[in-house]
Amino acid sequence: MSQIAIRVENLSKLYVIKHGSGAGSLKELAEHYRRLITRKFIPNFKQGQKDPFEVTTEEFWALRDVSFEIPKGDKIGIMGLNGAGKSTLLKIISQITKPTEGRIVIHGRISSLLEMGSGFHGELSGRENIFLNGALLGMGRTEIIRKFDEIVAFSEIEQFIDTPLKRYSSGMQARLGFSVAAHLEPDILLLDEVLAVGDVPFAKKCLIKMEAISNSGATVIFVNHGIDAIKQFCKHAIVLEKGRLILDTHDVDEAIRLYLGEST
Amino acid sequence: MLILEAKTNPKNYWKAIWQRRSLLFYVTRRDLTVRYKQTLVGVSWVLIRPILTMLIFSLLFGSIAKLDSSGLPYGFVVFAGIVPWFLFANLFGETSNSLIANSTMVTKVNCPRLIFPISTLVVGLVDFSLGFILLLGMMVWYSVPIQWEIICFPIFILSAAMLAIGLGLIAATLNARYRDFQQLIPFVLQLGIYLSPVGYLNQLVPKKWEMLYSLNPIAGIINGFRWSLAPNVIAPFWPGLIYAVVISIAMLYLGIKVFRAAEDNFSDTI
Repeated sequence: MSQIAIRVENLSKLYVIKHGSGAGSLKELAEHYRRLITRKFIPNFKQGQKDPFEVTTEEFWALRDVSFEIPKGDKIGIMGLNGAGKSTLLKIISQITKPTEGRIVIHGRISSLLEMGSGFHGELSGRENIFLNGALLGMGRTEIIRKFDEIVAFSEIEQFIDTPLKRYSSGMQARLGFSVAAHLEPDILLLDEVLAVGDVPFAKKCLIKMEAISNSGATVIFVNHGIDAIKQFCKHAIVLEKGRLILDTHDVDEAIRLYLGEST
Repeated sequence: MLILEAKTNPKNYWKAIWQRRSLLFYVTRRDLTVRYKQTLVGVSWVLIRPILTMLIFSLLFGSIAKLDSSGLPYGFVVFAGIVPWFLFANLFGETSNSLIANSTMVTKVNCPRLIFPISTLVVGLVDFSLGFILLLGMMVWYSVPIQWEIICFPIFILSAAMLAIGLGLIAATLNARYRDFQQLIPFVLQLGIYLSPVGYLNQLVPKKWEMLYSLNPIAGIINGFRWSLAPNVIAPFWPGLIYAVVISIAMLYLGIKVFRAAEDNFSDTI
């Protein structure tokens, strides 16, 4: 039995940003090739002029050579400014996109919540959305039915459960989204910015729930701009800056100081 | 233990889809239920569109242009073209749109992307079934005898579905990159209904053009479908029929290939 939940080894992710025809429509792409062909056959055709449709590419390393380990049962916070590579890292761990270099080894069932209520549909009722969202997050039909009452009770919206979601306030939608995710039983739970919505009492309730999930033995990976939640919850933190890992520590306060120092 | 690398090709591609069947079920149920929410006549829209198209085509091609219908009621001839055409057009359109329509799931959740096109297939087949029941009702009403050849109709319906899904998967892949296809496809379908034998019989096409006309696989599919319903009257053009079935299977295969090759990058390109 390994004591490691996730091991990230020399992970890099390259995005190629295309300017010109690659980014635009087919028309621009066709125009680009037309000019290429014209130039080939008419050597002196508009020589020296810059082709406005020319494809230029720019490389952008969203993550560069990042390595770290997350032990089983860990409560780890990932910090970094916008564009530091947090979301890219989470997307790779969640298998939404692939790394360019390096690898990640994962032990256990992973559930990730990169967005509150992914796939929620406004025309469906709260009840129908629980089933759709639950299935999307990897729950089976019977599992959802078994946990349905608990999910509804946790979200505190029993009264509106058969109302179309579009009539919900954004806070209510967030409650419902978190409630479904909180009732997954993963070995590893990955949460991105989930406490950014909802009122203070509900955010508190979410933290308590996460504590309970963690106490049951699950590994929790937590991304949040709100320093308080990380301070309160995490025992381990990493800080990313411009795609590189600049700190991996168990002294969460140190990580927060570094993160705040960066922002100012 | 799971290893994520730049080059990991999931060997159990179809098994992974099967494992997520509950997701397929709920996505399909969503697609079936949300379509006509907040409409007055609800699910009747599934039949209203083909019926109105039939009435207008019957009026134009039957009553005004007086095209030959080999003795069959013109409305029946048209509707027997509309039912497979609508299956094809809906599936092609919806499949090509399925990634963009579900883009929040594509970029935020790990799930087999093929689930979304498969869901459109189920919705398309449900719509087809309603149209087909109405078509059988018309046969009874006009006393068109039902013959043993009717057992062949699934061949042509499956061909229409395979062709639509295959083309739709290619279009969905391109659509994730170039949104032009979102504009192009409805236009192609609008013209396609006239290029295909929906409002008229295949026999109307002059013999010397028959081969060329049959290059459009929908021509063979509709011809075959009508033949299975009225074999005494409709002559099947066998080369066209066989060609249509072969092309449909090939398109489905090609579509899945293209889709799978691009699948890993959808979350980055969409």
